[in-house]
Amino acid sequence: MIELKDVHKRYRTKRGPGHWVLRGINLRIPSKRSVGLIGANGAGKSTLLRLIGGIDVPTQGRVERDCTVSWPLGLVGGLQSSLSGRQNAKFVCRINGGDEDIERKLAFIAEFAELGEAFDDPVSIYSSGMQGRLKFAISMAFRFDVYLVDELMSVGDAGFRIKAKAAFQRLAGSSTLIMVSHGERVLREFCESGIWLRNGQAQWFERIDDALKAYKESIAA
Amino acid sequence: MSPELGAAMPRSPLTVTVSVWRALFLREALARMSAGRAGWLWLLLEPVAHVAFLMVIFSTLRQRDLAGVDFALFLALGLIGYKLFTTTARRGAAALAANRGLMAYRQVQPVDTVLVRVALEGMILVFVAALLLSGAMLFGLDVLPHDPIQAMLAYLLLWIFGTGVGLVLCVGVTLIPEIERVIGFVFIPLYFASGVFYSPAMMPPLVQEYLLYNPLVHGLELVRGAFFAGYHLVNGISLTYLAAWALSAALLGLGLHRRYARELAAR
Repeated sequence: MIELKDVHKRYRTKRGPGHWVLRGINLRIPSKRSVGLIGANGAGKSTLLRLIGGIDVPTQGRVERDCTVSWPLGLVGGLQSSLSGRQNAKFVCRINGGDEDIERKLAFIAEFAELGEAFDDPVSIYSSGMQGRLKFAISMAFRFDVYLVDELMSVGDAGFRIKAKAAFQRLAGSSTLIMVSHGERVLREFCESGIWLRNGQAQWFERIDDALKAYKESIAA
Repeated sequence: MSPELGAAMPRSPLTVTVSVWRALFLREALARMSAGRAGWLWLLLEPVAHVAFLMVIFSTLRQRDLAGVDFALFLALGLIGYKLFTTTARRGAAALAANRGLMAYRQVQPVDTVLVRVALEGMILVFVAALLLSGAMLFGLDVLPHDPIQAMLAYLLLWIFGTGVGLVLCVGVTLIPEIERVIGFVFIPLYFASGVFYSPAMMPPLVQEYLLYNPLVHGLELVRGAFFAGYHLVNGISLTYLAAWALSAALLGLGLHRRYARELAAR
């Protein structure tokens, strides 16, 4: 279970504190429940995901977790560009305490990412699609109770997307997904419940269909 | 997926920190050695070239011996001590910015990046010092210190001082980015005010008095005093003075990292 209590967040900018991105989020996400995060650009979806993942801290309020949570699987961050794909993968294995079976994990990542010889090239020469594949593959080498997914379903070419989807479907049985996506089909496919972020507030919907409906009506209005 | 791949189990904080340090250390070492062409070679050549450059300048200005002390060794010892402070402090200050991308993993704390980096810098400089001294030995110089404990202690304190200043500056530049501009021009006069290429004993009493406020002068002179038997130490050179600065800086740095942990991790 993940619980957010009166979570406020604003970022520091070069000109002092920015505006409030989140103002007073109260949420209780039950375990074994996959949730879609929806809202307009800049509504705070990625911010909320980062707070749930514990890689950023709320300006006010608290986030409580009693399960293992992945880092946000997204398009930005998490890779050191001067190192090769293999070295980056090793780094993540080491900080997650996967030393014993690091060779097997690396073999798995290399196979899943399908980067071929580029796996030993510096990440700085990777295309964004290749970086996405690498990050996706690394995250699949670990088992978490909750996976945080930030627009990662659109990574890679058609072939890889099918593979990623299959991997997620197998995960959905045993783990929870909390995902940010603008793809309605993806959300309907993987999520049961929905959270709609607007004006720094969060609204919980038991069914993702209701959340999408409310969101679409607000745009039409 | 493949269910035989290990689950991410909740681990004790100490286990997490140790595995993060190990991973960060290997990452830092790899990045440092592979920076540019033959990066590891430059780590070594840079201090050698620095000493050689100063040798050329000063041997044209004055005699090569300085009160019976070989000037090349005198410079090398001072330079290593100076670098143990400055390189450690400056690399430490930039550690968090250089590892921003890795803050995507919550196991990695800002203070980890600094501690790992200063440890690596310290090891590199110990290695460089060993090679420089062995090299000097091949040229027939007497490089064995008569008081090795004092030499090691002074170098260690200079490194701890650098670590402390690095920790403090890391918090400084992250929270107040303007500080980064100041660091650059504060460190330049420090080079001239630390006695890298002179001894305070050569200076008039008034200048000596001011030089003695600088803890680096104490460190460098103590190292030289430990290497050269009969080296004249100016009155007032004290290991305690250097230690007080080093430990205060380290405690302040760690305290700041603890106090501002949230602000440092946040963007």
